[in-house]
Amino acid sequence: MSILHRPSDETLAAFAVGQLDEGLAVVVACHIEADQESRGRLRELRAVQGALLDAAEPVAMASGPSPVATAARPEGASVEAAPMSEGMPKVLRPYGLGPWRPIGIRIAMRRVEVPGADARVFMLRAGPGISLPHHKHTGFEWTTILAGAYEHEYGRYAAGDFDEADAEHDHTPRVDPVEGCTCIVAMTGSVQLQGWLGRLLQPLVRF
Amino acid sequence: MVSALALTADGKRKAGPVARGDWFVVLFDPNSLIAAIAHSGDRAAFAKLFDHFAPRVKGLLMRGGAPAELAEEVAQETLLAVWRKAALFDPAKASASTWIATIARNLRIDIARRETRSRLSQVYEILDDEAPEQPDETLSGAERDARVRAAMTHLSPDQYRVVELAFLEEFSHQDVADRLAIPLGTVKSRLRLALSHLRARLEDLR
Repeated sequence: MSILHRPSDETLAAFAVGQLDEGLAVVVACHIEADQESRGRLRELRAVQGALLDAAEPVAMASGPSPVATAARPEGASVEAAPMSEGMPKVLRPYGLGPWRPIGIRIAMRRVEVPGADARVFMLRAGPGISLPHHKHTGFEWTTILAGAYEHEYGRYAAGDFDEADAEHDHTPRVDPVEGCTCIVAMTGSVQLQGWLGRLLQPLVRF
Repeated sequence: MVSALALTADGKRKAGPVARGDWFVVLFDPNSLIAAIAHSGDRAAFAKLFDHFAPRVKGLLMRGGAPAELAEEVAQETLLAVWRKAALFDPAKASASTWIATIARNLRIDIARRETRSRLSQVYEILDDEAPEQPDETLSGAERDARVRAAMTHLSPDQYRVVELAFLEEFSHQDVADRLAIPLGTVKSRLRLALSHLRARLEDLR
């Protein structure tokens, strides 16, 4: 997997601190899971947090260690093996997934239930060679490619790549003619879809 | 490591100045203390970790604008998690400070987003369990921390301040702008510059 498109430093920092809307964070997490370099950068940002903890001015605690703390034995090092669903990012395990629903010819969508998120999160699966609906939007549209690829004027986005689009973008991604494309998308604001496919999709996007 | 363990071998807390001065800096070895908790449920080791880290977690959160009670709660919960999860601490992945800062962040997120049934802290835990980088690129957590600290000394005071505030979770970039009485755009550009400086320094040190 050779990843070309990554989140900006600010996006990754906001992710590291826990400031991102959870819907946007989930899409960033899907990219980080797939990308060794971003994982390394995230570790560095966490080290910044560690350094800031060391530099913090201590404030006296009102009470010492709670007796509860040491009443129980520390846990063993066992790590529970969670079941792996095939081809799905592990970071999606905590979330519910809706069923795949066809929303057009060779396009299907499934919801990712992210409680408390302002962004709407969904997975999109498109057949080889089709164009995704031409659209404009008012907020963010962040995408991580899970399989296959698409291409638009900013380049080709393949598995693991992260596409950080904002309201400036007005694009029509073309799906890879051989592999098709499956991606996870978080959207904030409203989207105006154009064309006949857009009119079909519109009621579904505004869920 | 041996000497720090020997200090706590009698299972009692040593009397005297445990939290201040050079003497303490030399002897305070959080990795050994965490190991002592993992291996033998060493309460004296826990007390030392608590005395060192709980007030810092509390201080960091309060600096970020958290009320004292909330900061105290998070600090207590963080150290409780250190006790419970000591066996999961891996110095190859992160230094003790970084590990503890991460636990505090996850708890802070859980508490802040409690009503919304957030699962974000689970997402962070899943990512933390991911395999590390290529073996030849793997640094121990302590080495990575040392490099990051070295890189942070090269930030200008203005940049350091923006990074510091931007990394306190209570603060949005707008809050940082209000605090420093500078425009939002300046916060964003200063932060962007600081992060890219950090990145460049870290690449030099690689």
